[in-house]
Amino acid sequence: MRFNLGFFLAEAFKNIRLNLLMSITAVTTTFICILVLGVGLLVSSHVEGIIGSVREDVSVEVFMPGRGEEEMAALEEKAGSWEEVASVDRVSEDEALASFKDTFEEQPDLYENLDSGVLPASLQIQLTDPDLANSVAGKLKAEGYDEENLSYPQQTIERLNSVTSYMIWGLYAATILFLIASVLLISNAIRLSIFARRKEIEVMKLVGATDGFVRTPFVFEGLIQGLLGAGLAALTVIWLNFLFVDWSRQELTFVPIDGDAVNTASVLVILVVVGVAIGVGGSFLSVTRFLRKI
Amino acid sequence: MIRFSNVTKAYSKDTVALERLNLEIDQGEFVFLVGASGSGKSTMVRLILKEMEPSAGAIFVNGTKLSSVPRRRIPQLRRGIGCVFQDFKLLPNKTAAENVAYAMEVTGQRRRVIKTKVPQIMDLVGLSSKMDKFPEMLSGGEQQRVSIARAFVSQPPILVADEPTGNLDPNTSVGIMQLLHRINRTGTTVVVATHDREMVDVMRKRVVALDEGRIVRDKVKGAYADEV
Ligand SMILES: Nc1ncnc2c1ncn2[C@@H]1O[C@H](COP(=O)(O)OP(=O)(O)OP(=O)(O)O)[C@@H](O)[C@H]1O
Ligand SMILES: [Mg+2]
Repeated sequence: MRFNLGFFLAEAFKNIRLNLLMSITAVTTTFICILVLGVGLLVSSHVEGIIGSVREDVSVEVFMPGRGEEEMAALEEKAGSWEEVASVDRVSEDEALASFKDTFEEQPDLYENLDSGVLPASLQIQLTDPDLANSVAGKLKAEGYDEENLSYPQQTIERLNSVTSYMIWGLYAATILFLIASVLLISNAIRLSIFARRKEIEVMKLVGATDGFVRTPFVFEGLIQGLLGAGLAALTVIWLNFLFVDWSRQELTFVPIDGDAVNTASVLVILVVVGVAIGVGGSFLSVTRFLRKI
Repeated sequence: MIRFSNVTKAYSKDTVALERLNLEIDQGEFVFLVGASGSGKSTMVRLILKEMEPSAGAIFVNGTKLSSVPRRRIPQLRRGIGCVFQDFKLLPNKTAAENVAYAMEVTGQRRRVIKTKVPQIMDLVGLSSKMDKFPEMLSGGEQQRVSIARAFVSQPPILVADEPTGNLDPNTSVGIMQLLHRINRTGTTVVVATHDREMVDVMRKRVVALDEGRIVRDKVKGAYADEV
């Protein structure tokens, strides 16, 4: 039998028009679900991006509060001799304050009352390879410098993870719940519209329509609704990402957020594919189930 | 063409709609099924369309034993049997012409063929001027003519009608019967289940009378009731 695409599409659009309220419900549900999924994708991409750029950090910092000049010089020399170390810089108390002022230039109330000496002097140890940070940190601990006086990427990553992992899990859970809810809602909407049209479907079967022939317009209907809902949601997600990256560049200058952390094209494709799959799968299953009964 | 061989249909233990029924209808025949309400006429029609299975016995349509037709082949079977019902069963969201076209679309006919065939058949049933009307804008008689057009558009070898004039006034009924008669003259086997005594008496066709699921009379050129 010939597959009459034009006929099925026309039927699908007609059904959407005749059941407009039901269609709007299905599109809205898909939109919300895909939006949540998309925001989840955004957040996890950015967190991964931040973790990635922190990992690229090739320095370990040793704070040396209350340690004398000689001790600093001794450690500087010792660390300089380790093969993992590319260079060692000494940062005095005054330099530390200056750089702090630099970072928070726009918030003078943060440093107005700070004197030199509040921020400790430190050694900035540059590594030859970011992967060596943990081993250098270990050596420094062996030298008697404890965890609080060290700053190396792994700490940042652990801190980031402890904050964001809850957030990401929460988002994943919400996304899964929304996916389930939207599959239920959409298949329910489709079931209702099939139920409203059960007489028609019975008539179609009586005049010799195959299951596939009856089902195809419904599947196209699901496809169009899924495409519309997911497409709008995907565009919204990309717009939100754009706003966020733009905002973070101005407001979160010290957080390494990168627009490239989110691959716009793949986010678009993933979201639209999921939305269309929900629409198509939902209608296919609902109609098939109904057709089995008659 | 259509053969019932020892067919029993029981909906439940107490409702036996047909009991060991034997009937043979030849190609090109025009047969009325008559009988009191509940005598089993609609049950016969539904069995011919394989809307359900008999409890016992076998039904043959066009030489095919219906019980051996798998579910997925039912559409092909039905395309060979035009059907007309008391309540017309038109698709409400389609115009008269679209309803007729639908029966051709399900068989995958080409658009071009549909475009020429539909107006011809609408002309045959006398509805050329109402092609673009939706069913709710048509009178009962007009709707029934649309449904006959739909049943006949693919020229199936068999046409079954269950009380096609049940909702229509006598004059309109005459028109519908004439239409069925014309279709029969093209060689189509026509089976009509009806209560319409006058019509049956006027047409003088084969009459099969049912009573409580059994054939009590089968007469060529018969009448609704026994003639004295
Ligand atoms: N779906 C069903 N479930 C149970 N019993 C049924 C069903 N359909 C019909 N029956 C019973 O089967 C018997 C025959 O019904 P059928 O509809 O064939 O009669 P009929 O001759 O068409 O009557 P009418 O002239 O009123 O249309 C009746 O006793 C009816 O109650
Ligand atoms: Mg009946």
